[in-house]
Amino acid sequence: MTSLPRPVPVPDDASAGFWAAAAEHVLALAKCSRCEAISHPPDVVCPHCRSTRPGFVFTPVDGRGTIRSWTIMRQSFLPGFDGEVPFVLVDVELSAHPDIRLIGRLVDGAEAPIRLGAEVRPAFEDIGQGYSVPAFALEQPR
Amino acid sequence: MTGRFEASNQVAVAGYAQSPVTRHSDQTLGALAMETARSAIEDAGLVVGDVDGFVTSSLFPTAGAHSAEDGVSVVSANWLAGHLGVNPRYAAGFQGFGQIPGAVSLAVNAVASGAAKYVLVHRALHNPRGRYHENPIEEAPGSQQWTVPQGYFGPLAMIALAYNEYVQRYGASREAMAAVVSEARKNGARIPWSYWHAKPLPASEYLDAPMINDPICRYDCDIPVDGVAAFLFTSAERARDLPHQPVYVAGYATGAPMRHRLPLHWPLDDIMEVASETTRRLWERSGVQPREVDLPQVYDGFSPFVYFWMEALGLCPAGEAHRMVLDGGIDSDRAGAVPVLSGGGALGNGRMHGVPQMLECYLQLAGRAGERQRAKASIGLACHSSPHFGGAVVYASEPF
Repeated sequence: MTSLPRPVPVPDDASAGFWAAAAEHVLALAKCSRCEAISHPPDVVCPHCRSTRPGFVFTPVDGRGTIRSWTIMRQSFLPGFDGEVPFVLVDVELSAHPDIRLIGRLVDGAEAPIRLGAEVRPAFEDIGQGYSVPAFALEQPR
Repeated sequence: MTGRFEASNQVAVAGYAQSPVTRHSDQTLGALAMETARSAIEDAGLVVGDVDGFVTSSLFPTAGAHSAEDGVSVVSANWLAGHLGVNPRYAAGFQGFGQIPGAVSLAVNAVASGAAKYVLVHRALHNPRGRYHENPIEEAPGSQQWTVPQGYFGPLAMIALAYNEYVQRYGASREAMAAVVSEARKNGARIPWSYWHAKPLPASEYLDAPMINDPICRYDCDIPVDGVAAFLFTSAERARDLPHQPVYVAGYATGAPMRHRLPLHWPLDDIMEVASETTRRLWERSGVQPREVDLPQVYDGFSPFVYFWMEALGLCPAGEAHRMVLDGGIDSDRAGAVPVLSGGGALGNGRMHGVPQMLECYLQLAGRAGERQRAKASIGLACHSSPHFGGAVVYASEPF
């Protein structure tokens, strides 16, 4: 039985810049053109200055951060992950943008020594069809 | 806007009905809802034609690809009224989260304002065939594109992240959560209509269960069921002329807006920050002090909500609910403990979405809990969903 592919993102007007940057293995987040605050994901309005015309521009950010939580996915309700379990998803607070939390795969695997506050750096999973998904790697595996 | 709810204790619950809770009913959900509605109306000493208001929240809480069909997988207020042959003056559906407190608030407001005299609140829940949350999506458009390509999907992963943050920060053990789930199942096992009737769960069985999304195992999740409950609301004055002792609604509160985050991402601090606002409003609106509540019923659709609600309600300091549980602090059979799951909750009854909490408050405060009747039950509190975006209702056996 051929395994199903993982779901791919469908970039739209509000997200194309994010996925174009990710394809180049660059983490770029939405910056409000009014107040210049970074937010993620881009909302209909800017969550900081509440501008209804935020004109978000995707700007490369420092993607290093710390692990605030994690889960080991031993089952998935999505197609395309049956061959991937168990895998680890980490909840990361960006050091340069502490109000932003991202969730991504920890590429070090389910046996990696994870702890609260561990430092991570950005990594990318190439999932085919030209898509790369932002993920994380432990900064100093111990 | 501050101060007590102007209609505090002016609206009461006058009767109820609860269907059997089963994995798959031999009746279509709409038919089960009609029978339950008729029973609740009769229980309140009324006839169908007396009921001029119908309220529900008909959310179908699955992340899967199941369709929501009125009368089959969901039952709306209008569907129920129409099929009972009533043209109600007031029919409404609550669209937010904390579906039971939300629906109760609509019913209370309708009675207090005079929009309707007798309002039936029902909640019908369906367990579809196939895996409850399985979703065959191959592409992730819209908000899903931010988390689904990573493999972050569904409520189990959602609660796993929040719970692990709690576990890692406060050192909560699996033994403590085993005690929570066993307590829910012990109480659910005593309830005749419960799916888990006569089936308590030994802590050892919890501890032996494999993880699904660490630290969540299957016993941390309520089991999907078919089931319907209905409650009849009317004014306190009219309720006193009906057969059963009225149970008064002192006040309610639902959650406040939350920080902008990824879909289904609930950092622990976000939850607890908004939770404290939910409960602050609850005390203010109901005119009740936390220590006056002798029957708090916390929501437990996922077991970690028990800790979050206990701490949000001030039953223990932040980070200490797991210790209180291990010390027997929520054992409904122990004198001096706080019986937060005496009604069995969702873990002890099945996925009835806040109904077990409300029903336990009603039965105990109306003196209708039979063999399970507690000696002291004067102020009850029924929680639903997570304390940051769900809500709670305070019930009283006497107006004050």
